[in-house]
Amino acid sequence: MDKVRNQKIQKQVERWDLFARLTPTLFLLTSLVLVVFDIVPLEYAFYLGLSGFAVTAVSWWWWAIFTIRYLISILSRASANLTEVNDEIKIVKKELEDLKDER
Amino acid sequence: MNDKTYRLVKAATNILSGLSMATLIVLGVLYIGFNNAFVFNNAGISVTNNPVTGDQINFILEGSRRHECVLKRVHSDAYDDATGERFELDFARKIYIRSDDYLGNDTGVVDHQWAIPVPDGMKPGVYRVSLYSEFDCVYLLFTASKIQMFDNIVLIIE
Repeated sequence: MDKVRNQKIQKQVERWDLFARLTPTLFLLTSLVLVVFDIVPLEYAFYLGLSGFAVTAVSWWWWAIFTIRYLISILSRASANLTEVNDEIKIVKKELEDLKDER
Repeated sequence: MNDKTYRLVKAATNILSGLSMATLIVLGVLYIGFNNAFVFNNAGISVTNNPVTGDQINFILEGSRRHECVLKRVHSDAYDDATGERFELDFARKIYIRSDDYLGNDTGVVDHQWAIPVPDGMKPGVYRVSLYSEFDCVYLLFTASKIQMFDNIVLIIE
């Protein structure tokens, strides 16, 4: 279950990375061409950019919050499991020492 | 695509994306600044030959202008302070007394002086003049139509 979700998050990170690398340049070039050739008024391009910026910021914010929450839950679970393993190793070690003493 | 090429492409797109983002932000801020800017800053209009005894009213406009703007339309009315009667000032008969920028598209300090004939039927008294002007302003690749109004210009006719 965790593995599937981790892979999903990894894919999402890759998609965000691609989006962040391509969108600003594509938007800048497209809007420059449209505005220079008078196909779209500058005002429309400005408001479209502003809306895109706002939608991206809000989406990224919520995605980051959910992902961090998930990562923290995984981290705390891993930490609890490690503590458990550590305790068990201590017990086994003690038992081995006791066995050694008995011999 | 080998690993080296992939890294180079990734780095190039990262730099390009950062530059595009910075350009978009700078253009956006400049556009907001231009769109919200007044045509004239710290500007005022007053009558220089108050009280008017002759047949023409002399106006002066002082201030400064940040962007290039071309005057498209102007309208001015004088209201009698006592009766509220309206008199339209005829800008078609405007005479420039002094102007370093007749077309109105220079930036920097503005110093215009012009004269307008006293409208027919204007009796002696105190008047409040209001002036409405429309401009087409240009800045970098931005254009915008702007309106600037001046109210409460005191005019005294004798």
